Amino acid sequence: MKQEFLLGNGAIALGLLEAGCQIMTSYPGTPSSEILPEVVRFSKAANLNTSIEWSVNEKVAFDNAFAAAISGKRAACCMKMVGLNVAADSFMSAAYIGNIGGLVIISCDDPGPHSSQTEQDSRLMARLGKVPVLDPSSPEEAREMIRIAFDLSEEFQVPVLVRPAIRICHARQNIQYGTLSSNLTKADFKREPTRWASTPKFRFLQHKALNEKHLRIAEKFNTLAPFNQHTLIGGKTYPFGVVAGGVPAYVVRDLLEEYGREDIPVLKLGAPYPFPERLADAFMDACDRVLVIEETDTLIEYLLRDKRKTLGRLSGHVPMEGELVPEKIERLLNKALIDCGQAPLSDGDCGAAAFELTASLKLPIRKPTLCPGCPHRASFYAIRKAMPKAIFPSDIGCYTLGSNLGVVDTVLDMGAGITLASGFWNAYIQDGVKKPIVATMGDSTFFHSGTTALINAVYNDARFVLVILDNHITAMTGMQPSITQGDRVDGRKGNAISLETIVKGCGVEYLKVVDPYDTQDMIQMVKDAYAHVTDPDGGIAVIISRHPCVIGFKDAIPEKIEVRVSDECDDCGFCHQRFECPAMIRDEEKEKGAVNPVLCAQCGVCLTICPMDAIERV
Amino acid sequence: MKTTNFVLSGLGGQGILFMTRVLAVTALNKGFDILGAETHGMAQRGGSVVSHLKIGAAKSSLIRAGGADFLLSMDESEAYRHLPYLKKGGMLFANAKASAFPDERVAEYLDRMQIVPQAMEAGKTAMELGAPKSTNLAMIAFYSAFGVGPLTADALRATVESISPGPFRALNLKIFDTCHETGRARSL
Repeated sequence: MKQEFLLGNGAIALGLLEAGCQIMTSYPGTPSSEILPEVVRFSKAANLNTSIEWSVNEKVAFDNAFAAAISGKRAACCMKMVGLNVAADSFMSAAYIGNIGGLVIISCDDPGPHSSQTEQDSRLMARLGKVPVLDPSSPEEAREMIRIAFDLSEEFQVPVLVRPAIRICHARQNIQYGTLSSNLTKADFKREPTRWASTPKFRFLQHKALNEKHLRIAEKFNTLAPFNQHTLIGGKTYPFGVVAGGVPAYVVRDLLEEYGREDIPVLKLGAPYPFPERLADAFMDACDRVLVIEETDTLIEYLLRDKRKTLGRLSGHVPMEGELVPEKIERLLNKALIDCGQAPLSDGDCGAAAFELTASLKLPIRKPTLCPGCPHRASFYAIRKAMPKAIFPSDIGCYTLGSNLGVVDTVLDMGAGITLASGFWNAYIQDGVKKPIVATMGDSTFFHSGTTALINAVYNDARFVLVILDNHITAMTGMQPSITQGDRVDGRKGNAISLETIVKGCGVEYLKVVDPYDTQDMIQMVKDAYAHVTDPDGGIAVIISRHPCVIGFKDAIPEKIEVRVSDECDDCGFCHQRFECPAMIRDEEKEKGAVNPVLCAQCGVCLTICPMDAIERV
Repeated sequence: MKTTNFVLSGLGGQGILFMTRVLAVTALNKGFDILGAETHGMAQRGGSVVSHLKIGAAKSSLIRAGGADFLLSMDESEAYRHLPYLKKGGMLFANAKASAFPDERVAEYLDRMQIVPQAMEAGKTAMELGAPKSTNLAMIAFYSAFGVGPLTADALRATVESISPGPFRALNLKIFDTCHETGRARSL
């Protein structure tokens, strides 16, 4: 047996290959991004021929996995929870149609949120789509659940969702594993149009069949130990119990153990939907009051029948938003116990006073920033310089941090940099106002959801400048390869797709390419592009701002330029506040700007940005 | 079984995850179970980064406020930010100027919690030795000199030796030994 200190996402990857998953698709997004590369690593080490792809978006990923599953193979696709929104259409439909080979969807939640636009609970998507869901409490359990998910999916011919939260994905645990072996099932799609291409009449029958499957799956979930299990001692009754699922279930277990509270029984629901009524009823019957602790929304709490006995979000005992970190759980357990006339776990304040003390220190707020040398900083600087009065719709990726430079006004979802640009244009032009708009979007996001948006904007004659920030990589989520380079996840070469071809194919006639390190050129280029936008015979103008990511590519800075701040500096702060380069600092003694040589990437972009011309070559 | 709990804090890019790995690999080699929680994603772009590590049989990865035995911080402010995680009698190790540490505004709290703060200019030392990026190892070495917790200095040093990439190995060990000595002088 080998042992590794594996990331939760690595444990999930291991579980996938142990379950004989043959086809694996994904689109990167925190906290899910490391699953696919870990599948590649394990697959290569064991010499398996797993088919593994970064897909262009989550819906595409889902459909590719689905096709494999209805051909009889075991397939999985993984994504972050907002990615499941993108795949929702397929997800809901696939539940009705079902599958042959196991189909497991892994949707990673981000309570907090730490790196997402919502805190949505994927278990509720499962409920909406009538898809059975498993909710792991540790990396080791996530790995086990993947195997069970495949078995369930094949037994009931229904996709199964596994929902690891960020504290699973980015937890690390020592995990032991043995030899991985290949699953040799061959693709064998059997035509059956009434199933695979069913019309509404058959959809009704499929829906009915799905509902019947749910009754049988719920029955199974009643006894699905150790995922679904309580700690009741037969015949005993309790004044207070806890029902918990997912990450909070093990936090509760650790807290009860630490404080020696064997008197409090716990019902752990790692397979909460379809709801195991019989198991839950037995627990509720034995307890006078029950506190429900689940992340991030209310699934179990709604599904528990006797609301008169339950405490939770509906009673105000559990916060409706935010991550349920251990001290929060300790605090709410204490309160619930006291409200039920029971002794609390602890009589301290669970760190409240200490957190107040640290808050009173007014510690520096650590805003994430673009890296020193980041080509996006140069692009944003140029855009703002050229069109300071524009509306700046932007999108999701590292370049969301362009907000620090004042060049990101909106972030809605993937692709909305362009759709909001056309939407703003429409809203203003209705009033006869030609509003200047500069949209920004990264290369990966453009392929994910930008193309349909651009086609729509061209078709409906919206007018704006679009700057596609092409850094050759999907940087924020951990340097996944970009479609523009044609590199695939397992290192094999695919076919590179040219941004220029796609943009022109969307019907855009005005297209320029610039290296944002040539900042002055780019400023002029944005101005020229806007002239095309305002020309009655003009249209949408697209600029591809192309420079490789300085973290992802060793040679991204072709000529290293060492810089310093001269005596001309009048301490205006532009370089470290507005240009916001982390390598530009204020020398508090000299009361002037300065360069931090450890952080400086020596890109030389700052040479042209100082209002006093006080940044110079060494 | 009781676990030994570490909180490691700092800023994106300071190598908190590598620091976690040194502790974890050492614990793994000693046959301990380990469970930790890391920061990924947007915060890695210069934001506050924290890593929790439990050595022993834990079920859940996050350490509760008041649950950490040791807080190792790569930055003075980030040390204060995560103070609430230290338990009564816990130990604090920070990359900071010893003469000006801790800030008087937290001194009373540390006293009340019986937390002894230990500071060393790990960043400065690593820079002087020619490897500013190895400040994280300097902090581990400093901590290792106090002989607290289940991981010995020798075991930690062996891990640094085994996981440092070839060209950096000798320098990393030099930094380790230098900072271990600084810690020893402090702990006597």
